[in-house]
Amino acid sequence: MEEIIRLTGVSKTYDTGKIQVQALKPLDLLIEQGEYVAIMGSSGSGKSTLMNILGCLDRPTEGSYFLAGENVSGKSDNELSLIRNKRIGFVFQSFNLIPRTSVLKNVELPMIYARLSAKYREERARELLEKVGLGERLDHMPNEISGGQKQRVAIARALANQPPIIFADEPTGNLDSKSSVEIMEIFTKLNREEGTTVVLVTHEPDIAEFADRVLTFRDGCVISDRRKGEVKN
Amino acid sequence: MFLENVKLALSAIRINKMRSFLTMLGMIIGISSVIAITAIGSSIQGVVNQQFESIGRSAVYFYVNWAMVDDYVPSEALISREEIEELKEHFSDELLYADPNVSFSSPVKVGNAEKKIYVNCVGSGYEQFSDVDIIYGRMINENDVEGARARIVLEANSARRLFGTENAVGAKVELTVEEEPVDFTVVGVYREKETIFTQMSTSDDLYGYAPYSLVPSQADYTIYIYAFLAPESNVAETATRIGDWLAQKKGLPEGFYIYESAEEQQGMINDMLGMISVAIGVIAGISLLVGGIGIMNIMLVSVTERTREIGIRKSLGARTGDILLQFLTESMIISALGGILGTMLGVAIAAIGMSVAGVDFVIHPMVILVAVGFSALVGMFFGIYPARRAAKLDPIEALRYE
Repeated sequence: MEEIIRLTGVSKTYDTGKIQVQALKPLDLLIEQGEYVAIMGSSGSGKSTLMNILGCLDRPTEGSYFLAGENVSGKSDNELSLIRNKRIGFVFQSFNLIPRTSVLKNVELPMIYARLSAKYREERARELLEKVGLGERLDHMPNEISGGQKQRVAIARALANQPPIIFADEPTGNLDSKSSVEIMEIFTKLNREEGTTVVLVTHEPDIAEFADRVLTFRDGCVISDRRKGEVKN
Repeated sequence: MFLENVKLALSAIRINKMRSFLTMLGMIIGISSVIAITAIGSSIQGVVNQQFESIGRSAVYFYVNWAMVDDYVPSEALISREEIEELKEHFSDELLYADPNVSFSSPVKVGNAEKKIYVNCVGSGYEQFSDVDIIYGRMINENDVEGARARIVLEANSARRLFGTENAVGAKVELTVEEEPVDFTVVGVYREKETIFTQMSTSDDLYGYAPYSLVPSQADYTIYIYAFLAPESNVAETATRIGDWLAQKKGLPEGFYIYESAEEQQGMINDMLGMISVAIGVIAGISLLVGGIGIMNIMLVSVTERTREIGIRKSLGARTGDILLQFLTESMIISALGGILGTMLGVAIAAIGMSVAGVDFVIHPMVILVAVGFSALVGMFFGIYPARRAAKLDPIEALRYE
């Protein structure tokens, strides 16, 4: 398998002026293309910090981060924007759809920033929304659809530029259990059928169960890295 | 991308209609006052120029410099008809027309009512230099002046009121000249050009032209000369030379005869109009500045409100420049829309004002272009700070913003 994420000695320290907080202790991590990984941990455990670094929204204080073989630690803001645009899809707990903008337009957004033509954008957005079962709701506004539907729109948007990797930060945190299962099934399907790497952060064990590999964090450290089929310790 | 930004800006403006309109109001007021003032200014300037055109741009009025006179004008300062003729001969190339600036007024019967007629007494050839539009008959000619004949050229309205028809050539009217009754024969009728001044005059006086030789008490010895210079001559230089030559010839000190020219008065009025325009322009400029600050203020509010949206956009791959342009486009469109509305309002104000005053409405299309362009520029200038603030937001913090 080809590696997609490699962290070597990555740490994050927040300098608040008076005190320094090490949110993420030096970490080595390897994730291969096509893996389905869940990152677990209670709040403040460092999992969100790791997620921000992996998603190229934040830079590590030390260490290097290779995304698909490319060192992204020293990239400029605009270079990171380009990487987020082309290589990464985000799904957030609070959906983060742009208000007062139609579902279709929301899905088109990453393609606008990729400078793709209006015609292609619309076709692709329709196709993606049909894929997540929202082909009938293209012109709805985000406040007119349910939470589960919003998250499907967010997934469609994340897939717009065909990124090899999807980061989902508590994707089911605001959903009821039925919708949660539906959303998780979409991720599983993406991973199984299209080989998309899925990395999700969650604190719910039954959501983490969908993944093949579970990393557990506590106090900025990985305390367990377990693959499905391995014996729980 | 530009198109997307325009669409985004328009939808943002639509969502906050009231707020956007209030923000535009500053620009609307600023731009409309600039447009209205410049349009009114250039319209009035057009009227003034037209007015002077009808007097004749090379008209010069010579008179005694009162500062050099003690109690009364000395008799040697009086200018005789012969001296005027000598002046014309000596300056034959430059001084095309000169008369002793004679006029009189007389009571005249219009039906049963007694009205007043003002008669301007001129020499022959006056119509060549001044804008007298003869519609019937002829103007005062050389024979009238030489023979001191009681001939009158009436203004069309006056002719109609006296005789019931504009074509009053051949009719007779009795006027009082120097307390003597004189029977005048109408030889011509002229039409006065309609100008802002004629429209404003509400008096029911009558007007006409007669030969100056009819009023010898004024014409034979005068202290005024009304003249026209050759159009190509330098008015100030030529008029000074003529005045000085006359003074020297009569043994009077240099500068005894001075002049006023239509050209200089026109220049003065235009300068004054220009100054008023500049002053009001400065005030309008200040209102544009205030409008610009209003735009900056509302854009800062908008950036804060949409912090989370900016975070989302950045997480999806928007670059610093994309966000910058998005907000810059929005502030420019708000501002330019304000500019367009302001231009329409300003043109409407000026057009209504000018039609009430009865003046031809003049507006340079360039003014409109500059106004809209300038308002977009104001929007850009005052939009830069908020847009930069939006563009520099940290995506993680922006995404966390509630």
